[in-house]
Amino acid sequence: MIAPAVQPLAAPVAERRVLIRTVGLKKSYVKKGILTEALRGLDVEIYAGEFISVMGPSGSGKSTFFNMIGALDSPSQGRVFIDEVDVAQLTAEELAYLRCQKIGYIFQSYNLIQYMTALENVTTPMAFGGVQPDEARRRGMRILEIVGLKERWFHRPIEMSGGQQQRVAIARSLANNPSVLLCDEPTANLDLHTGQEILDILVRLNKEQRVTIICATHDHRMMNVCDRLMWVRDGRIERIARREDVKIEIGSIGGKRDAAKASKEATP
Amino acid sequence: MKPIVIQEQPRLSFSRTVWIAVDGIRYRLFRAAVTVAVIGVAVAFLMNILSESFIKRAVAANTRDRIARSRLVHQWAARLMSPGDAEGLLRELAADAPGAVAEAARFGGLTAAEAETLRATARRAARLLDFLGEINYARRRQLVHAYTGVDALGYLATADGERSFIETLNRTAAIRLPFSREELKALIADWPAARGRLDRILSGRRAAVARLAEARGGRSILEALAGAEGAFGDEIRAAGFAFDAQTAAPEVAAQARRELDTRWIERALDVRVARQMVAQHFDALPGDVTVMQLWRFVASESNAARFLEAMKAAGEGREGLTAERVVELAGFRREASALERAARLTVGVGGGWMGLGERLSWLLLVSMLVCAIGISNAMLMTVTERFREIATLKCLGALDGFIMLMFVLESCMLGVVGGIAGGLLGAVIGMGRMLAAFGGIAGGAMPWGALGAGVAASIGVGVVLAALAAVYPAFRAARLAPMEAMRVE
Repeated sequence: MIAPAVQPLAAPVAERRVLIRTVGLKKSYVKKGILTEALRGLDVEIYAGEFISVMGPSGSGKSTFFNMIGALDSPSQGRVFIDEVDVAQLTAEELAYLRCQKIGYIFQSYNLIQYMTALENVTTPMAFGGVQPDEARRRGMRILEIVGLKERWFHRPIEMSGGQQQRVAIARSLANNPSVLLCDEPTANLDLHTGQEILDILVRLNKEQRVTIICATHDHRMMNVCDRLMWVRDGRIERIARREDVKIEIGSIGGKRDAAKASKEATP
Repeated sequence: MKPIVIQEQPRLSFSRTVWIAVDGIRYRLFRAAVTVAVIGVAVAFLMNILSESFIKRAVAANTRDRIARSRLVHQWAARLMSPGDAEGLLRELAADAPGAVAEAARFGGLTAAEAETLRATARRAARLLDFLGEINYARRRQLVHAYTGVDALGYLATADGERSFIETLNRTAAIRLPFSREELKALIADWPAARGRLDRILSGRRAAVARLAEARGGRSILEALAGAEGAFGDEIRAAGFAFDAQTAAPEVAAQARRELDTRWIERALDVRVARQMVAQHFDALPGDVTVMQLWRFVASESNAARFLEAMKAAGEGREGLTAERVVELAGFRREASALERAARLTVGVGGGWMGLGERLSWLLLVSMLVCAIGISNAMLMTVTERFREIATLKCLGALDGFIMLMFVLESCMLGVVGGIAGGLLGAVIGMGRMLAAFGGIAGGAMPWGALGAGVAASIGVGVVLAALAAVYPAFRAARLAPMEAMRVE
């Protein structure tokens, strides 16, 4: 599953296959008679194998956008295509298959199942996908090894630190060898050092396995490693830019002043 | 980069679902314990009432049976003292008691074939009499005027009576005969001959009773029956009664002797010294001494010996009565009063649904309803609590059916545990209460089979209740949108 050899860095950008495409995506909620427009027409194309960061203040519609492209919610208007398949056309069973096999979710608060061990957490999506228990355990151990938690497979989430939990969550999202990883602020609850570790794992997955990673974040280190950046504001795309085109100056990890400056420069 | 191909998600295996549900319960043991307690209490209530009703019914049947057997001597005394009437004889023949037909044939001088036809007629006649006894007064009046018992049959046998009876039957659709018109016709045709035979049997009996009265001389019937194993028994058989020397005679004789001894001891309260002795023992006034106190007094062997001596000294001695016999009689007397008490306590048993009575059935229904609501509430809270977990499972590819099944299964497992605990608890409490109320009678008559079935049924009720109560919460859980997993508190 994992290619041991390191792939050339330029490869994902050169390959221009569109993996996720949204067309005129709109979403509005009516709650207690008040109409809230979360998305007001959003068109974006995300290429296979790329690492894209989505940025935006809270309430910008970032989460709604995430739910749409993760096949967790249906839009009021517009369409979402995942590898040219219209998500709205899928049945409940097919949606479950898509979530199970093709998309990996990483949450801000890890969302591990509390009563399962690390290994059980990793093997649960495999069980849903119909993998035999022995095979699932073997694969689960291998994935735990990738995230560096092989020795702690029998620990429950409560016995692990935040960083370790997030690594288990990454392992779980990789369980069925997905094509897309959707990360919702994966480093927000972690300190700088562990956050960097998680980032490193994500980057490695992106480079070595060419997994498409879509990452909502406020973390400026993310800009440093992603291929493209996307800003969302008021339910619309404000700007999409390649990393090379954005001037980011980050001196050192944790350089607060530098990071703040970088964000000012990055946001037009 | 492989292209994305969409397929149907396979179903998770049942055993894996069970394990995930079990893990979920283990993680929330306290809440599960509370839910189990709710189910357990309701099931225990059900099982308690069920077991008490079962035991009461068994005790009632047992008691009635034993009381009837202990009155054998009175039945025989009554038979040997008076010839009875036609209806009693008719019912005796219809009831098909062993030896009754042969006995009737002897008294009436009938052949075996005649006796057999008489029995068939008696059966039909008894059914008709039962039927006439059950319908209301106005209807009976229409059918047979004011005649009752065998007179009604005699009225039917007249031409007028038969015609009006049949006409009334044809006119009134609401009256349904329990047998066919052909049988009715046969009965009416047979009746005059049968009536004649019944009268002959009765006169034969009358002669036999007179002969026995002569045979016992001046003795009372009980005294005579006390010797039923010997000469008097032979007299009874010689007079023509079906009095079996092997089965009936020893029992009747023993009961007669017991009755005589009992009466003698109870009459001792008329003797001043005996009364004083009992009064002294219970520290009461001699005038307040009751029969039950006397029996309690003689229940110990030393007291019984003192009592017999005092009676002998007062010139009221009785031959062959030893202290052991007196103690034994006291035991019999205690048993008889326990039986009477049990019979009194179980008078109204057996009405309503499953013998529970309407009030209790209603109470049970309400308690089950309250239990179901409690389970539903607990499961709803569990669903709310596990919100994020459910949504995450759905993100990982769980089908709605799996989520639903997971919650219903969880509730079912709690139902099984609560059902077993509650069923056993209820049965134990019920048995304890019944043992306290009826003592040894309940112990001997314990309906183990029915109790076991009751426990099984209670467990079943617990599981079904839990499963039904979990349907709505499980449905809510299954409908939860997977995007809830993305929400951050």
